[in-house]
Amino acid sequence: MWGKKSVMFNVSNLTVSVEDNEILKSFSLDVGPGEVHAIMGPNGSGKSTLAHVCAGKEDYTVLNGEINLNGEDLLDLEADERSTRGLFLAFQYPIEIPGVTTLTFLKSSLEAHYKANNREVLSTPDFMKLVKKKAAELNIDDSMIKRPLNVGFSGGEKKRNEILQMALLDPQICILDETDSGLDIDALRLVAEGVNNLRNEKRSFVVITHYQRLLDYIKPDFVHIMYNGKIIETGDSSLALELEKSGYNNYIK
Amino acid sequence: MLTEEKNINVEEQVIAYCKDNISNQDIKHPLYPARLGAYELFRIHGLPSTRNEQWKYTNITSKLERIPSQSDVKPVPVNLDNFINNFEIVKKAKENKDSVLVFMDGAMQSQLSVISSDTKTIKVTSLKKDPIPDWAIKLNSEKHSQNVNEMFNLNTALMEDGAIININNNKGIADNIYIIHVGNNDGFYNYRHMINVQNGAHVNIIEFKISNKVDIEALYTSSIIWKIGDNCVVNNVKYQAHNQITIGFNQQYADIANDTEFNSFTISSGSKLLREFRDINCNGSNSNISISGVNLLDGDSHIDTMLSVKHKAPNTISREKYKSILNDNSKGVFQGNIIVDDIAQKTIAKQSIDALILSKNAEHDAKPELEIYADDVQCGHGATTGQISQDSLFYLKSRGIPEEEAKRLLVHAFLTDALEEIKDKKILETFADVMNNMLNRVSKGNLNV
Ligand SMILES: Nc1ncnc2c1ncn2[C@@H]1O[C@H](COP(=O)(O)OP(=O)(O)OP(=O)(O)O)[C@@H](O)[C@H]1O
Ligand SMILES: [Mg+2]
Repeated sequence: MWGKKSVMFNVSNLTVSVEDNEILKSFSLDVGPGEVHAIMGPNGSGKSTLAHVCAGKEDYTVLNGEINLNGEDLLDLEADERSTRGLFLAFQYPIEIPGVTTLTFLKSSLEAHYKANNREVLSTPDFMKLVKKKAAELNIDDSMIKRPLNVGFSGGEKKRNEILQMALLDPQICILDETDSGLDIDALRLVAEGVNNLRNEKRSFVVITHYQRLLDYIKPDFVHIMYNGKIIETGDSSLALELEKSGYNNYIK
Repeated sequence: MLTEEKNINVEEQVIAYCKDNISNQDIKHPLYPARLGAYELFRIHGLPSTRNEQWKYTNITSKLERIPSQSDVKPVPVNLDNFINNFEIVKKAKENKDSVLVFMDGAMQSQLSVISSDTKTIKVTSLKKDPIPDWAIKLNSEKHSQNVNEMFNLNTALMEDGAIININNNKGIADNIYIIHVGNNDGFYNYRHMINVQNGAHVNIIEFKISNKVDIEALYTSSIIWKIGDNCVVNNVKYQAHNQITIGFNQQYADIANDTEFNSFTISSGSKLLREFRDINCNGSNSNISISGVNLLDGDSHIDTMLSVKHKAPNTISREKYKSILNDNSKGVFQGNIIVDDIAQKTIAKQSIDALILSKNAEHDAKPELEIYADDVQCGHGATTGQISQDSLFYLKSRGIPEEEAKRLLVHAFLTDALEEIKDKKILETFADVMNNMLNRVSKGNLNV
């Protein structure tokens, strides 16, 4: 690379334990504006843990390190504050919440973002218009957003719902944790298009996946292999192709 | 612990109070025999102790230290009318020409009450001021003669006033009757309502019980006796939001005939101690009932519900769905009994008691019981006690929703399926605002602690 690379989001030397087990071991990652980073790695290597810690889940002990977004350390912030600062996590397993309709949830969430960023909250009709437009783009019908949040949604519907939230909240750094798993071929294309529509020179993505297939649609700038709590190899998109062919054996010892 | 040291002092005080009261009653009054009989029983048994299975989790005398002192004159404050009209619910009721019965400290306030112009279908009289109709005397003595409930006896011995309501409409459109109770002065109050719903009648009875001020020290007993005929539709919602020093003992009895729908829903909050005793009898076949409610507790509140539903005829359906939210140092108790007699074939009875605990000092005890003597029935019951799911909370927060609001959403979500038991959606809407305020307070907690 030439010159000094600008970094928007970075994780440095992050060491995290759960119940006395170290899961992340001095993990580091630099993400510049507009970049797409793919993280691949065997089951249990700590990918979801990384995603959760970035988003502010509380069950983890951060022993060392920093997580910065636009120069601000996120570790001191609550999950909701990280979200309104521009971090979005698409969950590997979205949570079902009976009794809260998807619509109520989307409205509360969008309003919280507007309030935190001193923007005027949308009127209900404007909000409805916006949701319907974004939902239609992801082939999510009205009846789905009137149902309780994720309850009885199929695997693919849950993932599309995550992308809908991402599209509404207009984040700067999006972490997608296995958003492709459980999707059929058409849904995969829809979700990938949804992500690609959101790509611009300012918004960045960290895409956690097991399959190179997703990366055919969402072209990554970097591919990292994560193993045992840290990144052990970085390359370009050809690395994903190679992994697809020969697995992780050449990298993990 | 099952042993207790009775606070003899307060029990003696209550017995002395009864004795004094009975000696001032008119012995020719048609309710006098019941009164005297109830007094004799109460004098012998006294206040129930925790040795009584039905009072296992609630020690009355640890909450009730004395009878609150009261002055002889209890003037209706000039602002009471304003105070009552401040409630959107009452204002709307009056606008809609619904009947509104106002009680202050257990006494009917005729000058503030309105009875719907259609007096042919609804007849309301005061237990204190008007002659007692024959049906009410009969109903009263029936309940009295069957009764072993100490607090009901106490209420019978001391009842001062109440609404005697006879409903006889056949038009298929529900009449709405609001009963507003305002606690306005320190003291000991005892009232009784009797409601006779005649065959084919449709009625919504909405009770609204509130304390006028946070520092009014009230002790009360109340009983409401329902007699419901064939082919009726009755929706009853009771909203009670007392202050944190009120102690109340509510008894509800209902006898339900054939082909009738009865939905009774209670929303309770506040109170130092609140006892909800409910005895519901499906005497006729093909009836469908729901006895449900939500309890929202914070501070040092204690609410004890003792519910018994008896299926005494074939083909009846009952649902009991209760949800409680407990914060701070509050305590909730629920004992629920479903009894299915041998002739009550094809009974369907479902009971669920769920509690959501928001603080480490809050407690909930639930004891559901089934007694089934018929073989062709579907009965089920379940009780759960849980906390807010951290995963759900994180999910909401990860979308920017601040913790307090996320909790409020989850608490509200927990209540939704119980609230669906309020079958009349207009009534549900009516309570939306007051419920939300109550919910906001309870989900935050830290009241008086
Ligand atoms: N709450 C927890 N308590 C105990 N161990 C945990 C907890 N969360 C994660 N772990 C452990 O941490 C390790 C990393 O888990 P993580 O879910 O981050 O892996 P992953 O890379 O996302 O795996 P996968 O590809 O299967 O999704 C695993 O060994 C897991 O068992
Ligand atoms: Mg994972």
